[in-house]
Amino acid sequence: MYWLEQSQVEMLLSKLAENYELFGPRRDEVSGEVIFDRLEDLHQLDLSAPIPYNPPKYILFPHYEEILKYRYNRKTKEVAIERINHLKPKALVGLRACDLNGLMCLDRFFLGQEFVDEIYLEHRKKLFLVSNTCVRPFPQCFCVCTDSGPAAREGFDLDLTLAGERYLVEVGSKKGQKMVEELGLKEAGPEAAGWKKKVVDESVSSFDAFAVENKAWISRATNRLTTGFIKPEVWEFIGNQCFECGACSFVCPTCSCFNVEDVNRLDGTTDRVRTWDSCSFEGYTKMAGDHNPRKPVEDRRNKRFFCKLSYSQSKKYLRPGCVGCGRCARVCPGDIGLPNVVTYIRREITGE
Amino acid sequence: MPYYRGVCNFCGTGCGHLLQVEEGRVRGVYPLPGHPLSQGRLCVRGWHIHELLQTEERITGAFIRENGQLRQVALNEALAYAAKKLQKLSGEEIAFLASPRASNEDNYLFGKFARAVMKSNNLSLASDAGQEESARVLLEGCGWPAATDSLSRLKQADFILVAGGDLTRQNPIVASEIHRARRAGAFVATISPRKTQMARLSRLHLRPAPGTMALVFEALARIIYEEKKVDLEYLNKSTENYQDYLNYLEKINLEEILDLTGIAREALTELAGRLSSAKLAYVFYPTGVQSLDRRTMAALFNLMLITGKLGQGEGGIIPVAGLSNLLGSYDMGLSPDFLPGYLRVADENSCQKFEELWQTKINRTPGKSVSANLAENKSLRALMVVDHDEEIIRNVSRIKELELVIYFGAYQNAFARLANVIIPRPSYAEADGTYTNFERRVQLNRQKVKPLAEVQPLWKTLSWLAQALGHNWHYESAEQVMAEISRVVPQYSGLTYEKLDSSLGIKWPVDERHPEGTDCLLLKQNNAKFRFVLEEKSLSQSALFAEKSTNFPFKLTVGRSNYFWHQNSVMKRTFIPKREYNALLLLYPKGFVEISAEDASRLNLREKQLVRLISESAEITLAARISPDVLPGQLYIPYFVEEMIPEFLLRQVAELEKNEEYFLPVKLEKVG
Ligand code: SF4
Ligand code: SF4
Ligand code: SF4
Repeated sequence: MYWLEQSQVEMLLSKLAENYELFGPRRDEVSGEVIFDRLEDLHQLDLSAPIPYNPPKYILFPHYEEILKYRYNRKTKEVAIERINHLKPKALVGLRACDLNGLMCLDRFFLGQEFVDEIYLEHRKKLFLVSNTCVRPFPQCFCVCTDSGPAAREGFDLDLTLAGERYLVEVGSKKGQKMVEELGLKEAGPEAAGWKKKVVDESVSSFDAFAVENKAWISRATNRLTTGFIKPEVWEFIGNQCFECGACSFVCPTCSCFNVEDVNRLDGTTDRVRTWDSCSFEGYTKMAGDHNPRKPVEDRRNKRFFCKLSYSQSKKYLRPGCVGCGRCARVCPGDIGLPNVVTYIRREITGE
Repeated sequence: MPYYRGVCNFCGTGCGHLLQVEEGRVRGVYPLPGHPLSQGRLCVRGWHIHELLQTEERITGAFIRENGQLRQVALNEALAYAAKKLQKLSGEEIAFLASPRASNEDNYLFGKFARAVMKSNNLSLASDAGQEESARVLLEGCGWPAATDSLSRLKQADFILVAGGDLTRQNPIVASEIHRARRAGAFVATISPRKTQMARLSRLHLRPAPGTMALVFEALARIIYEEKKVDLEYLNKSTENYQDYLNYLEKINLEEILDLTGIAREALTELAGRLSSAKLAYVFYPTGVQSLDRRTMAALFNLMLITGKLGQGEGGIIPVAGLSNLLGSYDMGLSPDFLPGYLRVADENSCQKFEELWQTKINRTPGKSVSANLAENKSLRALMVVDHDEEIIRNVSRIKELELVIYFGAYQNAFARLANVIIPRPSYAEADGTYTNFERRVQLNRQKVKPLAEVQPLWKTLSWLAQALGHNWHYESAEQVMAEISRVVPQYSGLTYEKLDSSLGIKWPVDERHPEGTDCLLLKQNNAKFRFVLEEKSLSQSALFAEKSTNFPFKLTVGRSNYFWHQNSVMKRTFIPKREYNALLLLYPKGFVEISAEDASRLNLREKQLVRLISESAEITLAARISPDVLPGQLYIPYFVEEMIPEFLLRQVAELEKNEEYFLPVKLEKVG
């Protein structure tokens, strides 16, 4: 491991900025909230900022993206296809461990199956990832229950852990190794791993005191979900509260539902557009048809939590589909984010 | 920094969002977490506003019609052409159809153009909205035209009543706040004939027969009065005409009301008890399409007043505007008889004030709404229209007869086909402007994307027109228009762009006494006098209905939904909300009517079986959708299902739109 002094952070950023567009957490000046955004100015980066409201998912899997352009020639009946290839290399600095894990879930969805998603791959291979250990959790976090934090274990090029005044830097890839060498960072010596462990252990033990919003009970809920021992009334109760806004999927670092549309442009071409989608929508699953209008809503909710927590899904992602970031709880108009659902399931089990 | 702070422009909730802008195009949207009202939530519409903002179905240049054909011309040529035509018109001859989703700056100048330049008071919004009626009732009752409190203390409420509509569909984030307040311990009751999601999220749901909601409020007042829970001392001190109201209550026949409304006495008694003992009580009702009618709003106001819920300052009445800048539109005086700031055209002093401010004469004859003009005004020759979001245009044949129709629009629209002059407008992301949500929160939405060169903000194109017509209009920016608004509209007197830029909205009145705005309107007015709003007429629909009920035994009501907003003219330019709309239509390609399981089994109807609905004037064939949400004797059509409207509902649509209390007596027959 290496040391990165606070005063060297800027050097790291400048170095990255030579080859990459920089993204990282910044604060909105009026609302004070943290957004994982493209940084126009290196000083906007705030490594001490709480977990950003938006996951970095949009950088690899944009809300709205043209994935293909084609022109159909009526006379010759030929289609000319144009690949869209304008993706710039990007560096994501200050990733929280949950979000890095989320990214790895997306990798498995887009790259780890029978078909490799080329557009995603294009985004993905040009990334430089710098994660940042949460030395203290934020109120909404429950990554310790989902095995996804507070420190990243893999997937990064560089990983930062604030130890006292400076950062311990762990290298996770050749790219990362090259970077620390170019920067000439000081080696931290053999005790470094122990120091990092101490910081992480302290963070884990402070969850009770600081991560107060979402006391999850993930493993028991996972059990129940997988075995299907949850009464239909619980799903009805949850379904009644769903406003069908899609937010829970949009803000989830691991949700990968998408929709594809062909949009005719004025210049005669057609863009194939990929947009975010959500299993909370009737049209997504086409599960409609039942003539109890609320029933499908319950089923769709049930499906989402199954996707996030059941064993079978976890096997697919090689980890639970939830990385414990707590975002779906904050954006949900119905107050049925994942942590609350887990609470309802717990109440059902314990009869509280 | 591709994420820029802004305000959602769909409904009147005014949620804060972040627009993701890349290379001059809006590419995504994200909720703004720190926004004091929406706190990081958006509804399904808000989550897809970027899809609308990216559409290429825009109006990108100016057009004039020659020999029946539209021809694209330079913007200044179109404006010069329009000015020449307008020169020959004034007063009665022209009417102005404004947009409740346009900014305050655009709307203010549109109204000023009508009144100061064209000397016409024929000025109104597209749908005749309950917002105006609500403003009248509240002005009469408490002297303020809008929400008496904001939502900042809603979580401390112990009583919340939602009257009519379905807020979970119309204003989902307001409904979400109510849901959170319920989770924090508030007692939430819904009064609506239909079982809505709002009703499912409530502790108590009363389902009065359509058209009888006013009676429910009067019955509640009567019960509270009977139980001697009325503070007469307070009423004596704070209200002007309480004795008249008590006299009225005494005449009420409770048994008859119970019978007409179909509500059990116990339920009413429970609700009355909850309300009278509440420490902090709020009532919500939707305005805009699916609003309550005047009598119902008045009855609700009186109920809140007699229980002392307005006198305590906090809490009170929250009319929830269905469209982005609906409240702001009335603040700016987009109405035949309200001038900006709710001064009346009928009041000589107000007219003089505006003549002084505007340095020109204005017309003293009160105007009429655009729809009334189209229906009745024989001397009407011209129409000016801003962004008609609706797909269905009424009085098309009359509009076609007009000499001049000028359409200012951002998106292609059926109305543009009726226009002789088309002037492009920027989308709301392409111009600076302020929008006022239902809480009176004025929010500045900054330009994030540059429009094409020929696309100029409405305030600018109107200024050019006014100049061409000999008026000294020199506005250089939306900010300058706001500077004038702050001089003209007393409630906005303390607002500046500078202040707005560093805030997430400021609630009017913003003035010398309240430089940071006002959360709660009634709080500081402790010597204010209230008035009970008493109605002369009470030709209730039930009386009307009684005559027809034998021939037309069903009461048909209409409603709206998340995706199907604005008859889809806006939503159909998105992907996901459009798909959701189509998903429903896929199952019922001919549209559907909801019917209770009881009636369905009585009539031996199967799900999706075709039925014929017959009203006095028209008939339509639809699929039956058996639903637990409607009561026996009632039918429900989602009004958004565009295809249903022209054939069947068009004649009634104006009434149906105006208020939720309206229903259509129909009969139902099986087809085949
Ligand atoms: S399910 Fe919720 S808490 Fe879990 S990763 Fe997704 S957004 Fe975060
Ligand atoms: S965020 Fe909540 S309300 Fe919205 S779709 Fe998800 S569960 Fe439903
Ligand atoms: S509730 Fe209204 S303002 Fe908020 S996101 Fe939805 S449409 Fe936009």
